[in-house]
Amino acid sequence: MIAVGSPPGRRRLVAVTVAVVLALVVAVGVGLGVGPTPIAPGRILGALFSLAGVGHSTLTPLQATIVWQLRAPRLVLGLVAGSMLAVAGASYQGVFRNPLADPYLLGVAAGAGLGATLAITRYGLGGAIPTWTPWLAFVGALVAVVATWLIGGRSLRSTPATLLLAGVAVSALLTSVQTYLQQQASAQSIARVYIWLLGSLASASWHSVAVVAPYVAGSLVVCLFAARALDVMSVGDEEARSLGIQVRYVRWIVVAAASLGTSAIVSAAGLIGFVGIIVPHIIRLVVGVSYRRIVPLSLLFGAAFLVLADTVARTVMAPSELPLGVVTALLGAPVFVIILGWRRPT
Amino acid sequence: MIGIENLTVGAGTRTLVDGVSLRVERGRWCTIIGANGAGKTTLVRTVAGFITPDLGRVTLDDRDVGSLSERERSRLVAYVPQHPEIPTGMRVLDYVALGRVPYHGVMRAPSARDRRLTTEVAERVGLSSFLSRDAASLSGGERQRMVLARALCQSTPVVVLDEPTTGLDVRHQMTLLELLHREVVECGLTVLATLHDLTLAGQFADRLVLVHHGRVLMDGPSHEVVRSPVLEDAYDIGVTVVNVDGVDVVVPRRGASGAFREPR
Repeated sequence: MIAVGSPPGRRRLVAVTVAVVLALVVAVGVGLGVGPTPIAPGRILGALFSLAGVGHSTLTPLQATIVWQLRAPRLVLGLVAGSMLAVAGASYQGVFRNPLADPYLLGVAAGAGLGATLAITRYGLGGAIPTWTPWLAFVGALVAVVATWLIGGRSLRSTPATLLLAGVAVSALLTSVQTYLQQQASAQSIARVYIWLLGSLASASWHSVAVVAPYVAGSLVVCLFAARALDVMSVGDEEARSLGIQVRYVRWIVVAAASLGTSAIVSAAGLIGFVGIIVPHIIRLVVGVSYRRIVPLSLLFGAAFLVLADTVARTVMAPSELPLGVVTALLGAPVFVIILGWRRPT
Repeated sequence: MIGIENLTVGAGTRTLVDGVSLRVERGRWCTIIGANGAGKTTLVRTVAGFITPDLGRVTLDDRDVGSLSERERSRLVAYVPQHPEIPTGMRVLDYVALGRVPYHGVMRAPSARDRRLTTEVAERVGLSSFLSRDAASLSGGERQRMVLARALCQSTPVVVLDEPTTGLDVRHQMTLLELLHREVVECGLTVLATLHDLTLAGQFADRLVLVHHGRVLMDGPSHEVVRSPVLEDAYDIGVTVVNVDGVDVVVPRRGASGAFREPR
């Protein structure tokens, strides 16, 4: 049995990387191939090759629409959202040196939730979700993070703990306003808000992918480059400073990047819970504590995990869908428990 | 070389370090002694660059610490805290290698030279046999040696240590201080440390600086400071110094102390 949690050797790292890449390949296959309309895997593969100029697609026009306009954008948004949430979670855990940190910590969830609730309850005619809801959610998330930073992170004496506490306060305040709005709204609106809050990739389109992609790409690049600095910061702020790291600067850059990327994802897919906390921890348990390994592997595994979870969400009770946040927890928790059980003292 | 000029550091309305001036030449070991709350830690943390002084300045090799970037400072002074944070799951080798970050930065991987220096230092400090172990699994003594190795890996002319022997048994205290002593003698390292054990402080430092309420009460060769009557004033206890085989052993005396009173 492998000694999970111990500093890993190169062989285990290669094995884990191969396993994660395989999971990603499976996720892409399942994401494109599984759905209420059966389409032969060979045809989908042929269509993929035809994209690269090899052979030609044998999909019927209807099948082509299903694959390229329904499944593909949903798959890509799932990949993007999963990788972003997992990387943001890993980065937050690194900068705050807190294993419970997740991407929603600094008020992103509460801010986005309030924005979406406001849009749906006040402007959603007949309980419909207005098309600009994502933008209001995005703005709400950013306003919340900025408020958290202004309250808890601006002063020279502020510590990671003051920032986290400010996040708790801002979240509590925004959630109470959100609850008030819900209480005033119709049952139909509340149901819509509830569905939105639980997260879903159902409204994915190439447009939504295009909107979130720049934010996510920028955020991922920053988090990947910051990984080595996060390793140094794991010895504590003061010692990291004595090793030449501008700790405050690194912290703000990473928090800003991760929050921006997460806000973009939340605006497009609602509040998908659990990915940001469970994926980095699974990776950490298997490959050790170095963020140079955790961040890139979380990116790949987060993408695979969320697409697989989404496939479960949209198929087990088809034609209706399970909330994605419920599935990520249902799938993630047992995996996490199994890996925790493997862990043995080193 | 460390230069401290008229250093004053406050917190709120309290003055923690009050007009301290010191100079520690290259290749010398200076230990700050004094009661709890006397300002020792504040003084050494200011030298390490973590605290901006209200007045006065600190220079390292004639460069003002306040004007240096974090990276420049990390190549001049290494710091060993009283309670180092040891991340669980990090290999001992990787922990020691952090000492090379000031040179390769966080964007690049350690060079071959960085890796060679890391293993050399680990060997010198006696860590070779557990380089691939989990850093958090080491005993207190091994752990503190590992932290020292990380500091030595920084190849700085100055090392600042705050109570490096806290929680160690006598043998491990001696081992750690002997290792440091060897670096001072063989590599010309300049050491500024705080220590509570006056007998050990007297044996290892070239010079002791006794601080009290943030001020320097006495500054001089170790044997003079431990034998001075002001030591009793600073700690507010009775002290007897016994010379055993040329070593001044500082023994606190029961009954002749103010320890039962409210500390002054």
